[in-house]
Amino acid sequence: MHMSDGLISTPVAAVAAAGAAVLIAVAAAKVKKSTRSDLVPLTGVLGAFVFAAQMVNFAIPGTGSSGHIIGGVLLAAFLGPWAAFLALTAVLVIQCLVFADGGLLALGCNILNMAATSCLVAYPLVFRPVAGRSPSAPRIMAASVAACVVALELGALLVSAETELSGVTALSTARFLMLMTVIHLAIGMCEGLATGVVLGFVHRTRPALLYTATEEGEEPARKVHWRAVAVIALAAIVVGGGLSLAASSSPDGLEWSIEKITGSTEVVPQSAVAAAAGSLQEATAAMPDYNSTLAGIIGAAMVMLTLWGVCAMISTRSRKVKQM
Amino acid sequence: MSKIDSTLATLHALDRGEAQSCPSYASGAAACLLATLVYLAVMLSVPLQQLSRLVWMAAYPIVWSSLAGVGYGRLFVQSLYALPFIVFVGIFNPVFDTAPAFSLGGVVVSQGWVSFLSILLRGMLSVQAVLLLLRVCGFARICHTLRSWHVPAVFVAQLMLVYRYLGVLLEELRTMSRARMARAYGQRHLSLSLWGAMAGQLFLRSVERAGRVHRAMLARGFNGTMPCYVDAAGAGPDATAGRAVWVAGWAAVFGVLRFAPLDSLFRYNIIS
Repeated sequence: MHMSDGLISTPVAAVAAAGAAVLIAVAAAKVKKSTRSDLVPLTGVLGAFVFAAQMVNFAIPGTGSSGHIIGGVLLAAFLGPWAAFLALTAVLVIQCLVFADGGLLALGCNILNMAATSCLVAYPLVFRPVAGRSPSAPRIMAASVAACVVALELGALLVSAETELSGVTALSTARFLMLMTVIHLAIGMCEGLATGVVLGFVHRTRPALLYTATEEGEEPARKVHWRAVAVIALAAIVVGGGLSLAASSSPDGLEWSIEKITGSTEVVPQSAVAAAAGSLQEATAAMPDYNSTLAGIIGAAMVMLTLWGVCAMISTRSRKVKQM
Repeated sequence: MSKIDSTLATLHALDRGEAQSCPSYASGAAACLLATLVYLAVMLSVPLQQLSRLVWMAAYPIVWSSLAGVGYGRLFVQSLYALPFIVFVGIFNPVFDTAPAFSLGGVVVSQGWVSFLSILLRGMLSVQAVLLLLRVCGFARICHTLRSWHVPAVFVAQLMLVYRYLGVLLEELRTMSRARMARAYGQRHLSLSLWGAMAGQLFLRSVERAGRVHRAMLARGFNGTMPCYVDAAGAGPDATAGRAVWVAGWAAVFGVLRFAPLDSLFRYNIIS
């Protein structure tokens, strides 16, 4: 689900980055105020744990393929929502900078799509109410699956909205949304099962390590149950309604492309010399139906290849000089 | 090489610091980070139908990698790994946007293919810029820059801790994976229950390690914030001037690449 910079526009990236920055500031303040003195190192090490756990794939039942966890709900179940959000954000930043997983400008989008949805929405509003105050193994599994499905579906919804608002896909909003939500429903189920298995293991061996809301003086889980349902329903109506309006008011892929092409057909030679050169070129060219778009692309690519060659030669020469 | 081994190799290569003698290293991590952000913003503002202008934008990673002594070919290959999700989203453009863009040997290439290639190129260029940033500056210097930009200290501490313990936990995971593989008789994939037990064990080891880390930090006077790397290259008036020149110079280049009529060099006079 990591969004690349190639899929978003600068305004969408800026708005998402601003939203993510506010959430990071709030999370940092919450963690700083925490009564647990070991929360900072624990959060850091468990962030690294989720990263490491992502390196080991598990077999997806009935498919013959394998997958790995994302870990948002898992972290929140150990650390609480705000510390988990901070840890998962740190993981996303490192994945972006070190492993090129997701773009730097798209980082705000990725933080909202993956960390905020799982730690700040799905965990407090779904996992905790379903798991209850003294969870059993079946309840933990049910809560994990429900929370992960909600987190992944919300993430898919946000990815669709961000991509559509950026205007990079010719796929209509409704089709893109349907594709994303169906795929992420399956991914969410797998994520939920994997999260439930790990939490079940820890519940059996070291139950005290699971996060409880009361240790931070937060509201008991059961009280937020109906409010949670209302918030999710309201969000679904608002987002769904907004997207359907956008879908109906925007032109479809073909109309969009025709609009684009009619606005960019001004390829006219600027001078008599250019026109003469053009006709000569047309008469002698091996592929006379090349037009200006292709010529521009090929020209730019040739310049970049030349630049690369020159730069490579210069850096090789400077390395040799240093070695001498 | 397994995924764990390749990740560890990447981390170790970064720790070695490959590009410490290049001019951009001397101008400081803040200047490099700022220039990269400006580049990404300018590059992403190029409309999808202007593929040639996006190709011009490759000048930044090509020239900077040369200055830093990092092979552009290797960067290019690394940026290919970022493509799968971009391809998944962009591949629908050729299907739904069939308006003709140009013809190639009698075969009409649609606007959808041009926008699809633009999306791929945008993704690859952004990855190359970010990889270069990290190669040149290193993770600790970037964290220091974030701290100087008033990013919350707790969050910067998280970044440093996750980065530091990633390598340690991956070593631990490699040991566990080898032990499992030695007893798995060629069975590559873990069943979900077995994976859960393995991840659970790793979690318990991580928590124990966190406890030891916490006690060690307290013994060394930890007060809630992590000490940051001091950027020796970023101090003094010369360094400030160097930073300004680096950022302003690149911003001017980006402006030329973004707005100058470079296409006309080829569009009108060579091929029409």
